[in-house]
Amino acid sequence: MLAYIIRRLVYGVVTLVALSLVVFLLIQASGGGPLDRLKLNPRAQNLIAQLTEQWGLDKPVMQQYFTWLKNFVTPADVPAADGLIVLFGKIGLRGLTPIVLVLSAGAYTVWAFLVKIGQAWWRPVRAFSLVFVWLIALWLAKSRLVFSLTWGESFRGDGPVWDNIFGAAGATFRLGLAALVMALIIGIPLGIYQAIRQYSFFDQVGTTLSFVAFSTPIFIIAVGFQLLLALYLEKWTGVKLFFVTGMSDSSYGDLGFMAQMGDIVRHLTLPAMSIALISIAGYARFQRASMLEVMHSDYLRTAKAKGLPRRRVILKHALRNALIPIVTLVSLDVAGIIGGAIITESIFGWPGVGRLYIQAINAVDYPTIMAVVMSIGIGIVMMNIVADILYGVLDPRVRYD
Amino acid sequence: MRAVDGVSFDMMAGERRGVVGESGSGKSVTAMSIMRLIEPPAGEIVTGTIEFQGQNLLALPEDDMQDVRGGRIAMIFQDPMTSLNPVYTVGDQLIETIMLHQHVSKHDARRIAADALGDVQIPEPMARLDDYPHQFSGGMRQRVMIAMGLSCNPDLLIADEPTTALDVTTQAQIMDLMLKLAEDRGTAVMLITHDLGVVAGFCDTIQVMYAGGIVEYGNATDLFGNPQHPYTWGLLGSMTRLDESHTERLHSVRGAPPSLINPPLGCRFNPRCDFVQDICHDSYPALRESGRESQIAACHLATELDLNTIDVTGVVGS
Repeated sequence: MLAYIIRRLVYGVVTLVALSLVVFLLIQASGGGPLDRLKLNPRAQNLIAQLTEQWGLDKPVMQQYFTWLKNFVTPADVPAADGLIVLFGKIGLRGLTPIVLVLSAGAYTVWAFLVKIGQAWWRPVRAFSLVFVWLIALWLAKSRLVFSLTWGESFRGDGPVWDNIFGAAGATFRLGLAALVMALIIGIPLGIYQAIRQYSFFDQVGTTLSFVAFSTPIFIIAVGFQLLLALYLEKWTGVKLFFVTGMSDSSYGDLGFMAQMGDIVRHLTLPAMSIALISIAGYARFQRASMLEVMHSDYLRTAKAKGLPRRRVILKHALRNALIPIVTLVSLDVAGIIGGAIITESIFGWPGVGRLYIQAINAVDYPTIMAVVMSIGIGIVMMNIVADILYGVLDPRVRYD
Repeated sequence: MRAVDGVSFDMMAGERRGVVGESGSGKSVTAMSIMRLIEPPAGEIVTGTIEFQGQNLLALPEDDMQDVRGGRIAMIFQDPMTSLNPVYTVGDQLIETIMLHQHVSKHDARRIAADALGDVQIPEPMARLDDYPHQFSGGMRQRVMIAMGLSCNPDLLIADEPTTALDVTTQAQIMDLMLKLAEDRGTAVMLITHDLGVVAGFCDTIQVMYAGGIVEYGNATDLFGNPQHPYTWGLLGSMTRLDESHTERLHSVRGAPPSLINPPLGCRFNPRCDFVQDICHDSYPALRESGRESQIAACHLATELDLNTIDVTGVVGS
């Protein structure tokens, strides 16, 4: 198991290097440069010369790539701190630790739920594999190796890229998590119900609506929600239910706890729904197909022939088998959710990584663009590994060697 | 389309019945109908009665039918590789059945499950309860299926081609095992197969099915020794025999099974029959006595033809 994870991590690093090279060359090939706007100013000649020298913009492309790579992986000179301060203090709060914590806790919850519906109570032993991965991640997070990285300086003069990205990551994480949860708790039951009532009116309507939602571009969905559920809703009923910009109200700090939660939900609902809708449609269609395949399987016939009630046949024997293929889909869809967040954040003025990314592209800020791409790449590589491990938990036939 | 039409038969307690016929003859559909496992949109039971121990199964509410399934009538299937749920242990699946029908504690159910695995000669049954289906070989999985079927002491076991997917030596072991278990417990067995050799060693009585109906019924010795229907005669003639020299080409029943969407008029076997006459095109023959007690055949000519005296190879050669 450990050897398997290590091997997968090595493959992951190779993938990431290839990704960075391709994206770097694409940015170079797309024309324009970080100093284009400055060049409009006739009095900035000296500054332009200085920045060109400092950022190495006059060097050959491959040399610029290696300069970027060096800045990306070199730790900054951060003063050493005591272990406990590293754990709970400045660096602990600086970025990944809470995210790693939430991610692993989430993975653990999903795992526990799947085991629970399968009623295989002795399997908590397997939890150790996940906890182990989680401990390694926590150790990396605590050690200076990861947290003293800056990922280079932004070309827009706003400090280390790492700080910018992880300053915005919380907002994107909140949005993405809300969208993912929404997609899972609506999409999967929807697909299962459609499969159980195949060809019913509900199934037909569901299939048609999924198809429509799946083929509508996200910016139309987002603007549509803004118009219908915020603008017209307020105009027609006088109720201001949802907000269309930002993460929280300007008066957020003065509100009580419940009012704060309400404020968060009212800001979060529309952008999260915009991102989730396509995933809901995708999950429902996929889950329906997967469930139908399982419902026609021989072992389901056996379960019926044993005299099990239909409910047990579906909930116990069909569901767990039908969830196996969707694990892959969900892990791959995380990329789709981040992609959706880029557009949605810009439409809803959400201060997340997506909006930062668009701003960086407009300013041709290589280090920030590269860092956003790389963090998405790292996330996908990690999610794929987690999905493969989850496969082993769900399906006893999978063995790692 | 009528997959099974006009099929009517009785079975005695403890009887071992062979149901033979080629693919698509309605053997499996008959069995699935007894279990009421035919569900729309795949198909439905339009009319008829299925009486089991004085109860009409077709009139039972679904809840009561669930007690019959697995409890009083058990069924095992053709492909043991796919008939067990891959994500649960064999023990889980056995214990589930036992607890459903016998109302015992989980601990007792586990013991009964281990006994059931022991009965089908799986070594170390207690330990193997915790193994998953993929950790068993094909033959072992079919043993597990048999154990699951018999764990609740059903009165009738329907075995739908239980050995078709297994290799020949395993087939023999499985059939011997089923014979022994059925005899010990007095369980009636309905064995569906297209393997006449398997039927001969196992069954008391045989019904031959063709194109959705029964064409011949009789006790095993009579039916094999003296087939009354040309189809049975053709099937028996197409078997290889160890006691004859193989100088001739092996006989086969010519043609292919008819389409049930548009079946031939009259006797459904008439396009393939070597003895076809005008009457065969006019009316569908009912099952009738064929001169021999307890043997009936659906053939207009059953009493006239003496198939026993006709050499199969002679007909084919002409």
